[in-house]
Amino acid sequence: MDRYQFEDAISAYLDNELNLSDRQAFESFMNANPDAKALVNDIRATMKAIKGMPKVKAPSTFMPNLYKRIEFEKNRPSKKNIEKPSRTLFGFTPLYAGVMTVLIASFITVGVNLWPDTNPSGQQIPAFTGNVTNPPSSPAGVPNSNPAPTFVSNEAVADTADTTVAKKKKFQLNDKVQFVKDQR
Amino acid sequence: MNQPSPNLSMQPLPMDNQFRYTDEELIARFQEGDEQAYVELVNRYRDRLMTFVFRFVNDMEQAEDIVQDALLKLYTHKHYYKNIAKFSTWMYTIAGNLAKTELRKKKSHKTTNLSQMGPEDRDYELPAVEPDTDEVAQSEYIEKKIQAAIQQLPLHFRTVTILRDIQELSYEEISKIVDVPLGTVKSRINRARLQLQKDLKDLK
Repeated sequence: MDRYQFEDAISAYLDNELNLSDRQAFESFMNANPDAKALVNDIRATMKAIKGMPKVKAPSTFMPNLYKRIEFEKNRPSKKNIEKPSRTLFGFTPLYAGVMTVLIASFITVGVNLWPDTNPSGQQIPAFTGNVTNPPSSPAGVPNSNPAPTFVSNEAVADTADTTVAKKKKFQLNDKVQFVKDQR
Repeated sequence: MNQPSPNLSMQPLPMDNQFRYTDEELIARFQEGDEQAYVELVNRYRDRLMTFVFRFVNDMEQAEDIVQDALLKLYTHKHYYKNIAKFSTWMYTIAGNLAKTELRKKKSHKTTNLSQMGPEDRDYELPAVEPDTDEVAQSEYIEKKIQAAIQQLPLHFRTVTILRDIQELSYEEISKIVDVPLGTVKSRINRARLQLQKDLKDLK
């Protein structure tokens, strides 16, 4: 134990807070150093003097004054009672009612615009995303027996795209129509 | 709406009741509306808190005001006490915080008094009471010297010293009151005692 450790342990020693080995080390240092022993004795005497100071007693007026203050506190109107009641609109504050109105109106507007159209029977018409191709006219100018346009979905187009460019070039228009028919 | 009129009498509870209830039981009874329990708590803590606060602020009138504030807080904030700590810890914490607040207010007014003089003014810090052959005067002189030395300590040293060496509280309880770790409390007490020993050397 050195001097710093000794000084750090003085209070613990005086308050009986040191364990046995630390206590022995402390006492052996103290017995080997007279000035250290004198310091411990001085601190012990100081503590005794502080403990010996007279206890302070409350004056005789203390309790009556305390009860007066308690009575005053009890009879004082609370902050809650003197607060002005705020204006309300159907039970809501004007700010809250305004914000809620705007939010509900926005919700209705957005909801109406996003609502899907329905046919008279109530069935939903799916959106068509493919291409419309006109039927090819006959080479000899003979009118086609089936003039309605053919609907080719993007998937079908994608299927045809799998074939090589060279193969595509070999197809005549009639062949292509035939190919589409075969697909069906 | 006013609360029902209190049943505060200055008479303490009967003697057998005083020793039947612990502080924690009394505050529990007070929380349930028993005002006599409050009176008993005030009787138990009034002088203890007066000693603690007076040694802290070194002003009798101010100490009385602070202790009354603390006991008033006990009355108005009784439900703030939760039975997880000792009642004494809670009470000392309230009184200590109020005392520190008062000292800070006082300090902000920049009034110079003995307790605020710097180390260079130490020659003037001693009370103007000369030692007398009379025993009473001698003990008064010693008390004033010790009180002046305590006032010289920084606030965090002063608090733990008073709680330990005057109020004789345990390290653990002091640690809870000042809300610092146990090791810090031990260190502060040790340093405060070393400082007091230096300042009071000539008392021997």
